[in-house]
Amino acid sequence: MDILLSRVFAGATSGSVYILIALCLVIVFRSSSTINFAQGEFALFTAYITWWLTERGLNPWVAIIPAILIGFAMGALAERWLIRPVARRDETAVLIVALALFTGLNGLDGWIWGSDDKVFPRMLPSGENDFVEIAGARLYYDSMAIWAITAAIVFGLYLFFTYTSMGLQMRAVATNRQSAALSGVRVGRVLTLSWGLSSAISAFAGALLIPMVPPGQLGLTGMFHVLIFATAAALLGGLDSVKGAVVGGLGLGIGLALVNGYATFLGGSMSLTVALVVIVVILLVRPTGLFGARRLERV
Amino acid sequence: MSTQAKKPRVIERGTPVHRALVGAGLVLLVASTLWLGGLAPFEIGQVTRVMIFAIAIAGLNLATGYVGLLSVGHSAFFGIGAYTTGILMVKEGWEGWATIPVAFAISLVVGLLVGLPALRIRGLYLAMVTLAFAVAFPELVARFSGLTGGASGMTIPRTAMRPPEWTGLGLGEKYVWLFWLSVAVMAITFYVCWCLTRSRYGMAMSAVRQNEIAASASGVDIAVVKVASFGLSGAITGAAGSLFALYMGSLYAEGSFTLMAGITLLIGLVIGGERTVLGPIAGGLAVVYVPYYTADIGSGQSSAVLFALVLLFVIFVAPAGIVGSLAQLIRRRVVVRDPRPVVATDAASAVPETTPQPEHQLDRTSTPIERSRT
Repeated sequence: MDILLSRVFAGATSGSVYILIALCLVIVFRSSSTINFAQGEFALFTAYITWWLTERGLNPWVAIIPAILIGFAMGALAERWLIRPVARRDETAVLIVALALFTGLNGLDGWIWGSDDKVFPRMLPSGENDFVEIAGARLYYDSMAIWAITAAIVFGLYLFFTYTSMGLQMRAVATNRQSAALSGVRVGRVLTLSWGLSSAISAFAGALLIPMVPPGQLGLTGMFHVLIFATAAALLGGLDSVKGAVVGGLGLGIGLALVNGYATFLGGSMSLTVALVVIVVILLVRPTGLFGARRLERV
Repeated sequence: MSTQAKKPRVIERGTPVHRALVGAGLVLLVASTLWLGGLAPFEIGQVTRVMIFAIAIAGLNLATGYVGLLSVGHSAFFGIGAYTTGILMVKEGWEGWATIPVAFAISLVVGLLVGLPALRIRGLYLAMVTLAFAVAFPELVARFSGLTGGASGMTIPRTAMRPPEWTGLGLGEKYVWLFWLSVAVMAITFYVCWCLTRSRYGMAMSAVRQNEIAASASGVDIAVVKVASFGLSGAITGAAGSLFALYMGSLYAEGSFTLMAGITLLIGLVIGGERTVLGPIAGGLAVVYVPYYTADIGSGQSSAVLFALVLLFVIFVAPAGIVGSLAQLIRRRVVVRDPRPVVATDAASAVPETTPQPEHQLDRTSTPIERSRT
C-alpha cells in the first residue's frame, strides 16, 4: 500500500511538471493551431538565465523574474517575426522554423554556458526530512509545493480565460479567427500575446522542473523528454483544452509511474516508449483527445 | 514576365549538343570520383562521411520531400541500420558489405510499420510521432542491451572490418574499401531515386503531397503511396546507417542516433533542397563540413546556431534550398527538353513560344509555398 501510494505521489509530481508544459502547448495551439516544438527549448534557455543570475548571487525567486520577462519577449518575438510570416504558407514551413528555433536555442545555450551539466538551485524545500508521512508513504514538501503551484497556475489561467477581456479575445481567435477579426479583435496582437504568455509560463515552469526531472541538473538535453511527455499529455487531454492538459498530465504521470513500477517485464525504464505508444494510439483512435473540440474543415 | 526578356537557350534531348553535355558530365563525374578516391586517408574518411549522410538524406527526401510526410525521426532508421550491421558482424561474424541488404530489409519493414500511422496522422502530428520515435529509439537500444550492448555501446572488432579478399586490399586500406562501397551504394540510391521520382509513381507522390483528396480522386492509391514511400525512405536511410556502422566501428545510441541526429538529417535536406535529386549531396556536405569547420567556435555548439540561421534563411529567402535555387538560376539560361514533333502547318510554327517548356512534367507542378512566392 505504501509503495503504491508513494508511486502515485511521484507520478502526480511528474504529472504536474507535464501539466505545466502541456498548458503552454495548449495556449499556443488554441490560438495558432500549431504545436510549438521549441517550447521546451524556450524553457531551457530561460532556465539557463535563471541559473546564471543565481550564480551571480541572486535569490532564485528573484532571478526567475527577469527569466520570465525574457521568456515572454522570446515567445512574442518568435511569433511576430518568425512564425506568422510563414504561417500562411504551410505546416512544413512552420515546423522547420520551429526546428530552427529548437536547434538554434539549444546551440546557443551550449555556446554561452557550455555543454557540461550545471547544478541548478532548488527553489522548493527538498531536504532529507522535509516530508509528511501518509499511510507509510513519504510525501515530500517540494511535491506538494509543485502541486500547489500547478493548481494555482491552472486556476489563474481559468480566471484569465473566463473573466478577462483578453482571455475572451483569445478564445474568440481560437474558435474562429475570421469572425473574431470581424468583431474587432486584433488577431495579430492576440497571437503574439498568447505565444508570449505561454513562453512566460514555460520559463517559470522550466526553473521549477529542472531539479525535479532526471538527471536533476541543468543540461542541454534536459527538455527533450519533458517535451515528449508534455505533448503526450496534451494530446491525451485534447490539444485545445486546459482541462484536458490537467487530466492528461496527471493521468500520464501517474500511469507512467505505475507502469514503470509494476510492469517489470518492460525493464523499468521504458517511459519514453510508453509515451510514444500513447501518442500514436491517441492520434489513431481519438485524434481530438479526451476533451478536445472536433474541428471541421472545409475542403 | 517582363524580367525574363532574354529567352533561355533550349537544348533538346538526343541532339549532339545534349549528348556531348551528358558525356562530359559523366567523364567529369568519373574523374572526380577517381580523384577523391586517391586522397589522403583523413580526407577520404570525410568524403565517405559526406556520402553516408547524402544517402541518408536522400532516403529522407523520398518521404519528407516528395510525399510531404514530415519526419524528424529518421535517426532511428539510421540507428536500426547501424545496429543491424553491428549485431550481424559481432554476433554472427558476417562480412560488412553483406549486412547492407539485411539492414535495408529490416529498415524497410520498420519503415512500413511506422508509415502506417501516416495514413491517419498528418502534418505536425506525424512529425510529433516521428519525434517520439527518435527519442524512444535509444531507450529501446538500452532495453535490449544483451543484443545491442546497451549504454556501454557496441564495438565491431577491427579484424572484422578487413576488406574482402577479391579487392586485394589489406586491413590498413579499410578506408579505401569503405569509400568505394559508399560510392556504389550512393550510385544505386541516387539512380533509383532519380528514376522513381521521374516515373508515374513519382507523379503520384507529388500529387499526394499537393492535395490528397485531389490525388485520390484522380485514382492515386494514397495509402500505398504513403506507406511504400515511408518504408523505402526508412530503408535507404537504414542502408546509410549500415555504412555508418562500418565507418565508425563503434556504436553508441546515446551519441549517434539521438533526436539531434534526426534533426540534422532534416536540416541537411532543407538546406540542400527538398525534391531535388542532388540536394542530399549539398545537404551531406553541409552537415559534415559545417560542424567540422566551426568546431573551434563556441565549444562545438556554434554549428547548431549557424544551422538555425541558415534554415531561417532558406525558409524565408530560398525555399528551394541550395540545389533547387541553383537549378532555378540555370533554368533561366538553359532549358533541356524532349524533342518536339515537327509541325508542318505554317500557322502552328508562327505561334511564338512564350514560356520555355519545363524539362519534365514534375517541374511544372509547384507547391503552395512556391506559388505563394511568385
